[in-house]
Amino acid sequence: MADVSTTHPGFSTLSFHLSCPASASPFGPRLGRASLKRNNDSPAVEIDTPGFLTTTSRGVIPHLSRDHHRFTEAIRWVLIPFETFLERLPPVPTLQGGSTPLHKFFGYSPLQNIVIMSARDPFDGRELPPNGNDHISSYSMRGVTPSAWRSYVFACRPDIVIALSDTPFTKPPHSQKRLTKSLERSTSWLSNLLRPIELDDDSNSNPHPLNIFVHMVGGTDLAARRIFSEGLLETLRDNEAEAIKPLKRLDDGVTGYVFDLVPLRLSLVAEIDSANISSPDILDTTTVPTAAQMSVDTSALIPLMKASLNSLPTQKIRLVNSAISPHEILRLVRDVGIDVFDAHWAQRAADIGVALDFRFPIVDTGPNNQTHRTKKDLGHNLYDQVYAHDFKRLADCFMDGASSLGQDSPCNRPVCPCAACSPLPPCQHISHSSIDSESYPESVHAPRQFLPPFRRAYLHHLLHTHEMSSHSLLAMHNLSVLDAFLSGVRTVLAHPNGTAVFTTEVDKFVEEYDEEMKVFEDARKSWTEVERARGKGRLAREKDKQAESTLGTAVEL
Amino acid sequence: MQFEVIAKCHTTRARVSRMKLSHGVTMLPTFMPVATQAAIKGLTPQQVESLGVTLMLNNTYHMNLRPGIKVLDDAGGAHRFQGWTRNLLTDSGGFQLVSLSKFTKITEEGALFASPFTGEPTMLTPEESISIQHSIGADIIMQLDDVVSSLTTGPRVGEAMERSVRWLDRCIDYHERSGKKDRHNLFAIVQGGLDHDLRDICLDEMIKRKDRVAGYAIGGLSGGEEKDTFWRIMKQCADKLPEDRPRYSMGIGFAEDLLVCVALGVDMADCVFPTRTARFGVALTFSGPLNLKLAKHAKDLAPIDTQCPCPTCSDGVSRALLHHIITQETAGAHAVTQHNITFQARLMGQARDAIINGTFPDYLRSFFVAYFGDVGYPEWAVNALRSVGVDLLDGISKDVNVVPGDGGKWEYSDRS
Repeated sequence: MADVSTTHPGFSTLSFHLSCPASASPFGPRLGRASLKRNNDSPAVEIDTPGFLTTTSRGVIPHLSRDHHRFTEAIRWVLIPFETFLERLPPVPTLQGGSTPLHKFFGYSPLQNIVIMSARDPFDGRELPPNGNDHISSYSMRGVTPSAWRSYVFACRPDIVIALSDTPFTKPPHSQKRLTKSLERSTSWLSNLLRPIELDDDSNSNPHPLNIFVHMVGGTDLAARRIFSEGLLETLRDNEAEAIKPLKRLDDGVTGYVFDLVPLRLSLVAEIDSANISSPDILDTTTVPTAAQMSVDTSALIPLMKASLNSLPTQKIRLVNSAISPHEILRLVRDVGIDVFDAHWAQRAADIGVALDFRFPIVDTGPNNQTHRTKKDLGHNLYDQVYAHDFKRLADCFMDGASSLGQDSPCNRPVCPCAACSPLPPCQHISHSSIDSESYPESVHAPRQFLPPFRRAYLHHLLHTHEMSSHSLLAMHNLSVLDAFLSGVRTVLAHPNGTAVFTTEVDKFVEEYDEEMKVFEDARKSWTEVERARGKGRLAREKDKQAESTLGTAVEL
Repeated sequence: MQFEVIAKCHTTRARVSRMKLSHGVTMLPTFMPVATQAAIKGLTPQQVESLGVTLMLNNTYHMNLRPGIKVLDDAGGAHRFQGWTRNLLTDSGGFQLVSLSKFTKITEEGALFASPFTGEPTMLTPEESISIQHSIGADIIMQLDDVVSSLTTGPRVGEAMERSVRWLDRCIDYHERSGKKDRHNLFAIVQGGLDHDLRDICLDEMIKRKDRVAGYAIGGLSGGEEKDTFWRIMKQCADKLPEDRPRYSMGIGFAEDLLVCVALGVDMADCVFPTRTARFGVALTFSGPLNLKLAKHAKDLAPIDTQCPCPTCSDGVSRALLHHIITQETAGAHAVTQHNITFQARLMGQARDAIINGTFPDYLRSFFVAYFGDVGYPEWAVNALRSVGVDLLDGISKDVNVVPGDGGKWEYSDRS
């Protein structure tokens, strides 16, 4: 495919400003603002950090129709793994055209959403055939070559692209030789993406129009991680310099750094296992994070991340994929200075019937009434029978739209703006005949009042009857709770003595909320039981196929 | 209920009416989407409402099992439980007893069945059915009828019809004694299988009770009988039912069936077809159903229907994207469900306008040209519409085949 960049000049520009480098350390918590200026008159998309990105499956946010993801203001950054589109060549999104083809194809708003394109789903740790020098394997019929990737990227014009990198998904642990190869390939594939585009002679456009994030490779080897980063900063010579001119160093063309925690955890687990001479087939499961992965503490990851970042400039965005809990998010903000996290764990909670219910900094919402655990759960397993007659809103930590208008709340709780807690009547009804207005006597100009929230008992019912609406409502709710959580993080960091206050609040949070996330475990069990009670035969086979291709996030259609 | 016929087709028996219930006005004829277990699959009630739907259906059998009457009572009824502020209709639970449970035994007392959860023998009587429907709190409730498959023959059909009449009396008595007559409107269900004589007897008996029922449903059809028989029974019932009561044909959802029923004088219909078929990747259009799973849609960047006002089409969701996600992602099911419900509503809304404007016969003709012009008109539909004075073949410029049998229209393969 031809480089189409010359026919559609004008990519958007991503800038990132740290408004408050709260500490002198390159790894302290920090506040920032990402600003994406499109090549038109529209205002820049501005997103505060620490923040989160919403993950997609086959390009769409699981369980959300377009009207629902528009309604959910928490959704700002969106990550699109491209591998499912490799099933058919050319990949369909490359055919869309226009100035924001991915936004158009998937329905994301160019004014609200920053769309990131990556080859692989960062949460997918399943075993794959080895990559080649000029080819990465993906979970689809075929992989992708660096040159094909480059052409897809220029055709899709994502706001941000994650460069291909050679992360092995063969069975760990990986040899030293394999690691060396990984570094070489990742560097060379980044360089390929940084090849300048051909410009007309009189054009003063940027020959490097892409906003590129790069994976921090090197596996669990500290030295290898350092070497990779140093390679990015090296001034290139001869052919290598020619390949990316007028850039001098690879890092000059890089906008952000990415850490995928799933392969890191898998490697760490494998190392522990080989030391213990037992080797469970951890890669066979599609329901990661497994217990094994969960056993890898955040503290084991932090030195690896620091080794990568140590020599790199501090003012670039740092993205972490597949953090497993809010506790981990807080530690990575505090100890590594991470700016953006994916929401995978919170979205996955919606798949298994968990309504999140927590805040940062913590607030007193009364005793933990559903269990006798010493710490509070992060949410509610709505499959549990205790919710069958529970007519409360989804979260105790938040108000719902309707009751927030009624009276002053004693504990000054914020309103959860999601469509489950604060539903609004439709702003219009499609009219199908000239007399349909008789059904709608109320004035269309009357201000819309919040409707009562959806109750736990209703969600409980929907979950037990396999109704998809349960997951839609929970997905919107959980993203909104995560948004409020990170907004709380930013508020604390903005405090004059931000770092110190933040550290105290993190300790309190860890003390307050159950980090083992037993409520997720319970929910997963209930989810499996309800799923198992379903039919056999064709439907079951369809479901297996669906589960296979959607990484275990599938729910009953 | 306030029911008023506001326009009539000059040729066919079609009519437009205003039906005012406790939760607002619904304009008829209309199609009712089915929210079996208190949700249209994948959508929130606000989304359903935004599509222009003012009346939907819950299934009593399912609602009684889960969440159960206790929860519904605590919630203050099904409207509040599911957040639906418009009109709601519940069936009696009789149909599912027969279709879902192999062990149901009908006695004069009621339907005896094994609870699907505990296996305990459970009796659903006409009184119990009405009581459950009161708890659900639907605006329109249905009598418990003795349902037999429309393919059943022999004395059982007559027995079921006669029992349905007796059970109607018990439903009416219970309903009137409950003092809830003003909020919930009881409909009778005409039975009698495919036997015109039995149907006539049933119609006579039920029409005698007209002052005590708010409307009439036509049951026992759309169960695999020949289409030619289907329309003749439907016409017989619609012809005889009183003018000043709404007429509801149960379980009808294909576009051509709906328009034929409207032409015969039917006001309401329900079916799971448009929402169920959406989940399997079939989008309904005025030129026939599209099977989005077929490879021919894989690179098509056009929406399902550029004229369609549904959220999916008006937002430009491409067939290519739908092809990529349908049956894999719930969001694909949501998108096509929103479209299909809108399609049904457009089909009926355009019928309302055509009836008011005196152009309903033209509407029928133009629908059939667009929908069946390429594959041929179903003979039964041609005959059914001739019976009410519309000849589909009149004024058709191009040659159109008339196809015998029960054929509908379906996109089976990649041949285009």
